[in-house]
Amino acid sequence: MVTKSDTESVQIEIFPQRFLKPDTAQRLLEEIYSSGGILRIMIQGPNLPKSVPYGPGKGIPIEEHMNMLLELGDSALELRVKVGRIWLELESEEKIEWVKAACERVLPCTFTIKRKQLFHTKPTVSDYAKYGSEVEDKRILGLVDPKAKRERDLAILSDTGGDT
Amino acid sequence: MAYKPQYYPGTTSVGKNRRKHMSGDLEKLRDISDADVVTIMGHRAPGADYPSTHPPLAEMGEPDCPIRQIVTPTPGAAAGDRIRYSQFADSMYNAPAIPYFRSYWAAINCRGSDPGTLSGRQIVEARERDIEQYTKIMMDTEMCDPALATMRGCTVHGHSLRLDEDGMMFDMLARTELGSDGNVYYVKDQVGIPLDRKVNAGKPMSEAEAKKRTTIFRCDNVSFGGPCTADKRTLDEGLVTLHHMWERRSKWGFRPE
Repeated sequence: MVTKSDTESVQIEIFPQRFLKPDTAQRLLEEIYSSGGILRIMIQGPNLPKSVPYGPGKGIPIEEHMNMLLELGDSALELRVKVGRIWLELESEEKIEWVKAACERVLPCTFTIKRKQLFHTKPTVSDYAKYGSEVEDKRILGLVDPKAKRERDLAILSDTGGDT
Repeated sequence: MAYKPQYYPGTTSVGKNRRKHMSGDLEKLRDISDADVVTIMGHRAPGADYPSTHPPLAEMGEPDCPIRQIVTPTPGAAAGDRIRYSQFADSMYNAPAIPYFRSYWAAINCRGSDPGTLSGRQIVEARERDIEQYTKIMMDTEMCDPALATMRGCTVHGHSLRLDEDGMMFDMLARTELGSDGNVYYVKDQVGIPLDRKVNAGKPMSEAEAKKRTTIFRCDNVSFGGPCTADKRTLDEGLVTLHHMWERRSKWGFRPE
């Protein structure tokens, strides 16, 4: 995360036509992050379980899904989904073109970028249940789903931001 | 004049492919060995005896029944095999088969089978040695593209999701992988239990080939009749028939007179 900016932030969604391999997702996020000006990043996609959830093989570990790390800045998160959608909050509108160029460089498939309001701005009932009436850092709103564990699913890359 | 079944209307490639699936007149594209099919199904070890639920019919002394005299039992039923299944998930990205046409194929062409149709997957149940034979046909012929149709006994998620980067249908259990030689390999059986060796399921179809062989109407391939927003749509004959049935059913379905 970066310092507060005078310009108004924008939110965009990157939607590739194919699910991304962990390597591709890593390279794309590195490219985007390296340019700076990123306030929030959220990745979304279908769950990759660590063990077979149903059936006769229930409980058998799925080795292919083990130890997938997403390293960004000085933080690392365990990748638990197949990356199919990336939400970004950017410092300013000018950054959109830079993100688009990064996508063109890295993604092996076509993609769409849409600008819209993605992260919610007010606490929901779930947020209230989870964080209480006072949300310490409002940047967390809409960043992880209600069942997510903060220490497992959220990384603060550089905590110099304020109440963005 | 001998009766010739008219399986499905329509002049589009999708209509023709649907007729092919229903009639069982399918082109064989690959040859997966019996042992490999049994391995992927995972119900018994290849070469092992078939467990049975009852003695062979010949030893049981069947009652005197005219129907039993007319209908010859399938090999599995005659031997007293267990009922077993194989289930496939088909990607909506132009997979060759879709659940309904797998079911039509099984109901018309596979004796002693019980097809079950679901939205994104399709199961066929039959006596063990019969289902092995039917599954081999499904995997060997144009009903299957190993990248877009996978045998998935459970955790079947994938039909309506985007494909992976390499063109494979998303699989939560990572049962298949695209090898460096361009072939698709099963590394797990249909319920996600790792196999001792990889099983080669053949090469995936090219995008153009999949579009040619699919039984799915899609706006970006063969559509029902042009884009939904078009002023005038020319519907496939099959769709005209379907609309006709729906109209009649809606208007007079409850008042047949």
